[in-house]
Amino acid sequence: MSETEQTQIITLARALDSAPGDRLHCLELIDCFDTDRRHVVGPLGVKIGRTPPADIVLLDSEVSRSHCFVAIANNELMVSDLGSTNGTYVDGVRVEGTVPLPVGSVLQIGKRSLQHEFRTTAEISQSDELDRELQRASAYIQALLPPPSRDGPIRTDWVHVPCARLGGDAFGYGQLADDVFVAYLIDVAGHGAGAAMLAVAVMSQLRQRSLPNTDMRSPAQVLTTLNRLYQMDEQAGLFFTIWYGVYDARTRRLDYACGGQHPALLVPPDRSQAIPVGNRNLVIGAVPGIGFKQASIDVPPGALIYLFSDGVFEITDRTGRQWNMSDLERCILEPRVEGVGETERLFHTVREAAVPGPLEDDFSLVVAQFD
Amino acid sequence: MQMQISDVGGVTKAALFGRLDSRSVRDDDQGEAYFFAHIPKEQPAVVDMSDVSFIASLGVRMLIDTARALDRSGAKLALYGANDNVMDILKWAEIRQVILVVDTEAEAVAAVMG
Repeated sequence: MSETEQTQIITLARALDSAPGDRLHCLELIDCFDTDRRHVVGPLGVKIGRTPPADIVLLDSEVSRSHCFVAIANNELMVSDLGSTNGTYVDGVRVEGTVPLPVGSVLQIGKRSLQHEFRTTAEISQSDELDRELQRASAYIQALLPPPSRDGPIRTDWVHVPCARLGGDAFGYGQLADDVFVAYLIDVAGHGAGAAMLAVAVMSQLRQRSLPNTDMRSPAQVLTTLNRLYQMDEQAGLFFTIWYGVYDARTRRLDYACGGQHPALLVPPDRSQAIPVGNRNLVIGAVPGIGFKQASIDVPPGALIYLFSDGVFEITDRTGRQWNMSDLERCILEPRVEGVGETERLFHTVREAAVPGPLEDDFSLVVAQFD
Repeated sequence: MQMQISDVGGVTKAALFGRLDSRSVRDDDQGEAYFFAHIPKEQPAVVDMSDVSFIASLGVRMLIDTARALDRSGAKLALYGANDNVMDILKWAEIRQVILVVDTEAEAVAAVMG
């Protein structure tokens, strides 16, 4: 990520002196999980732009130096565009002149979105505490994810960007035995704390290889056991999808099974095609006692496998078109970029194609390159 | 997401419109809670998906939940008219193991009455 694409926020908006019951107009970055994402709008208003002396500085290439101004009038927020190049939007509608920014509405500037909240200082304190708790939970989930692997017969890299503070995606990979490798990606329906807790529970069992009476080398057995253990009736109505694969380096055979999930994609070294690596089984947890099928594919030397959650391709692009997996296949088969990792290249390709603002779903992408 | 629910000769017909994404499915007024509450569980139902432009995993859950609730009282659920993008997602979810998936309303009604 280049420095110009990084987003930093410097704010001169200070917390104002107020009685505990007084309500303050706040602009809260909704795609930022830091505890300093909230900016209080004072009586003098705030200017938003890419560089100081703006009060809220967003280092985003789509934000103009002096982008828009938010003021208080009759205890309402009003927003004016300051002749920005890419425009200012309120709930998706481009601002012309000066328009109200109602409580709960979203102010969109470049790739960033700020929500108007009207909170008491007590609510702000409470919200800050919740933010800190969610940040700790998010850090815990991130810590469970495996580090990228730069050496060995299989090199891996990944990008994981939850669309909410806690997502429902999780993945892992590693060795099951000498020459036997495993990789998996699970996607719990929905996001938030409930989905994250189920994702962590499943991931922990897979990490520990601790499924009872199950050969972890058999994707069909693994899915069957998970389906037995995680019926949605016993999981607050949550179910999940999974891709689970086991690769034997001696035979170059990859055994895999999908539980309700789209296929992974295998790209041979000549990058001529993206071969689906998936089969059809029901989502995990919907029906008790069902069996799951697995399938196999030979992995050619130098091939890459792309394993991803549906949030990677289920986006609405800037023309309003809904993407599907063939759009992602097209992006994957585009030439690689010298000095840029595949996961980073694809994340930025998708991010640039999608409508501004937070992605609609969790973005989890794992790329594995085979010797 | 918006929906219209009607009764067609003893079969509940639910026509869904728009995106079944996470936000719309969780909507208090027109989301899964409303859908689930307004589908009688004791009679068969069909879902018209022809005006659904997108379905996320929570949308799939909404349909599966409903099918399971109907199944508990011996009734069936069928859906029809899904576009290619939506059908791709339903196919990967292998939803056919829980819900009848057909092309037309007539086929759907016949399937749930059979």
